[in-house]
Amino acid sequence: MGDNETNILLKVEDLNIVFHDHKRPETAVEDVDFELAQGEILGIVGESGSGKSMTAHAIAGLLHRSEITKSGKILFEGRELLGCKRSELRTLQGNDIGVVFQEPMTALNPVKKIGWQVGEALRIHTKMSQDEIRAKVLEMLASVELDNPEEVYEKYPHELSGGQRQRVCIAAAMICSPKLLIADEPTTALDVTIQAQIIELLRHINRTAGTSILFISHDLSLVRQLCERVIVMRKGLVVEEGVCEAVFDNPKEEYTKQLVAAIPKVDFINKK
Amino acid sequence: MANTNMGKTITAKAQNKKAFGLKLKIFKDKKTNFYVGLGITAFFLLITIVGYFWTPYNPNAMDVDAKYSAMSFTHLFGCDNFGRDIFSRVVSGLGTTFFVGLGTVLIGGLVGIIIGAICGYFGGLVDEIGMRIMDALYAFPSLLLALVFVSLLGSGKYQVIIALGIAFIPSFSRIVRAEYMRCRDLDYVKSARLFGASHFRVIFVHILPNITPVLVSSAIIGFNNAVLAEAGLSFLGIGVQPPDASLGEMLSSAQSFLFSTPWYALCPGIVMIIMILGVSLMAEGVE
Repeated sequence: MGDNETNILLKVEDLNIVFHDHKRPETAVEDVDFELAQGEILGIVGESGSGKSMTAHAIAGLLHRSEITKSGKILFEGRELLGCKRSELRTLQGNDIGVVFQEPMTALNPVKKIGWQVGEALRIHTKMSQDEIRAKVLEMLASVELDNPEEVYEKYPHELSGGQRQRVCIAAAMICSPKLLIADEPTTALDVTIQAQIIELLRHINRTAGTSILFISHDLSLVRQLCERVIVMRKGLVVEEGVCEAVFDNPKEEYTKQLVAAIPKVDFINKK
Repeated sequence: MANTNMGKTITAKAQNKKAFGLKLKIFKDKKTNFYVGLGITAFFLLITIVGYFWTPYNPNAMDVDAKYSAMSFTHLFGCDNFGRDIFSRVVSGLGTTFFVGLGTVLIGGLVGIIIGAICGYFGGLVDEIGMRIMDALYAFPSLLLALVFVSLLGSGKYQVIIALGIAFIPSFSRIVRAEYMRCRDLDYVKSARLFGASHFRVIFVHILPNITPVLVSSAIIGFNNAVLAEAGLSFLGIGVQPPDASLGEMLSSAQSFLFSTPWYALCPGIVMIIMILGVSLMAEGVE
């Protein structure tokens, strides 16, 4: 379904990100190209420092520091994100693009109640009344499969477990029903059973709301479970790109082969 | 008989020692520190509030017969060289002192928070410019800076507040800036930005509540310093103008009678020390 031009939600062309905060400029992302269709789940895998998170941050509009130069194009529904004004970008952030971070422990404001934080994007982007926001937040908390939404609403982040917090983060990112959800290693800080639940939740969101998901991870087995297409990155370059099954079953590049060779332990256990 | 008596005294001594040990322990415990400090401060605050409506004597009324009279039940802290009741003057002086302290912290704190927040959050050139201005302000001893402002604006209670408030901006802005630099790259700040929140909203709605503990303790310390600075200014004769009472002004006029009527200097001095101690204990507890 990704082949249809009109269906393209996000298009990244020749993205380059260079840091200038050391003596020698360092290239974090080099000539990255990819497309994401509406309703698709695209995985980006790669080792630490491969530039996958940088790519995600560039799309989310988090790279605004002066020491960084960016070139290329990021088109979201045909709108250029990389060079646009912050005020323009702000209308998209939270409303059309949601982001879930790696660390649910630090991604929530420690002094604000959960309900307040989940409703923040609504407060910024819509003119809903307090009661409407509350109702919507409770609905959202229920839809990310949190027990007792009413109770969670009144809690502070430190009163929740890691998995619960990550669900809250997803709820906060999804509250305005964005078209694109960027999940930056959302499961890395969680243990395996919770990981599976979060993956299931993301898939559920993708199916019911039709949200495109950009899933960034270094865990190949999770990417294989969740994604339709995958991009393999290394040292800022796209090494391989294609349909998930094809890439993992017949890796063409040496690096992908090495990556896939790192999974067998899981296969071994499964076969047993 | 003697033996049992001795035993008793020994146990009593041991108990005494134990009680003393407990007392010492109390001052090591931060929470108790806070409550002791709070108690002292609340006591003085209460006296100040009562003193605003009622004092035993009019603090500015002179009674020639009572000139230089010592501490007694009619004049609790004695009388000064004009026959004014020192206790009444201390109480009304406390009011001035509190007012100046709070006003200073309010001005210094508000402006300091805004400057520190903007510098710390944005960093880069904004930070560089803002902080160099603060450095220039900070390079002046705050008392000297206040002196400059007082000589420009004239002396009096409100001038002292403005002068000290401006002198206190750099210390507040530095503390706030450091906190904002720590917070600005945290994930929850990033995610607030990703919700589409404006800079203003991120700075004051998302980050500010997170730095309140630091703010509260620095405000309390600032209050202490303001009280001392006000006393210093009044002592130099450029603060609160006579006949209005303030603790520093009383100390200043008492210095000529230090040996003939020591209570004139001692009473306001001790009251100020205890008050500062109370507020300091509170600040320590908050940290």
